[in-house]
Amino acid sequence: MGVFDMLSISASALSAERQRAEITSANLANAETTHTDQGGPFQRKEVVFGATNSSPFRTVMNRLGRFGHAAGGSVQVTQIVNDTSPPVMRYEPGSPDADKSGFVAYPAINPVSEMVDLMGAVRAYQMNASAVSAAKQMIQQSIDILKSS
Amino acid sequence: MATTPLLQALQGYLKVTTDRQQIVASNIANVDTPGYHAKDINFQSAMQQVMFNQNDTQLGPATTDVEGLPERPDGNDVNIDRESLVLSQTQLQYQMGVQLIKEEFHRLLTAIKDGN
Repeated sequence: MGVFDMLSISASALSAERQRAEITSANLANAETTHTDQGGPFQRKEVVFGATNSSPFRTVMNRLGRFGHAAGGSVQVTQIVNDTSPPVMRYEPGSPDADKSGFVAYPAINPVSEMVDLMGAVRAYQMNASAVSAAKQMIQQSIDILKSS
Repeated sequence: MATTPLLQALQGYLKVTTDRQQIVASNIANVDTPGYHAKDINFQSAMQQVMFNQNDTQLGPATTDVEGLPERPDGNDVNIDRESLVLSQTQLQYQMGVQLIKEEFHRLLTAIKDGN
């Protein structure tokens, strides 16, 4: 444990929250996409966060340099899952993506819930950015001990 | 290792504050992790461990889950208000420790220079 581990923990959260914001933006951007390379409408995606193992055993092993360098207690995107809820069918017979009965499959994306998710990601990002500033200030202060008074 | 008892105590104080700050950082990092429980250290026992069992400090302080926080439906109970409070608190505590160390060094220097 040390001041610099704090920076790496906060950095892991910053990158995880940024990825969450990216996925949410992609969902918003593709809210009306009816045609994808895989065929069918765009599928809504969602990130799943997981805490890296911070058990005392793992912490000691990390300190002894046996495992990777991720500091205990950081966060990572463990997987990106597809939302499997059925598409919304809209009657648009003129569309090139319409089926035989004239319905077009639209992705089941609710812009409001995506916006809320985006706001949550931004707020969490801000909070972690202030944790980074706090860590930086603490490092700066310990450097100041060296300065002759 | 430290030259005076006060410096030794302050060294331990800074270590405990840094450890606590790191735990707060990981609580904030996991604010949206399903099933994560907010953690904290007991300042008193951590300070005692650092001061009196110097050989044990390899293990770092024991973390405990914070009691009495309301749990969200996803099983996460991190309260961002509490964490930002503890973040500023430990930051100021650290600042105080650093100032005291500087002051102690200054005092030592004064003694070395025979009051001049």
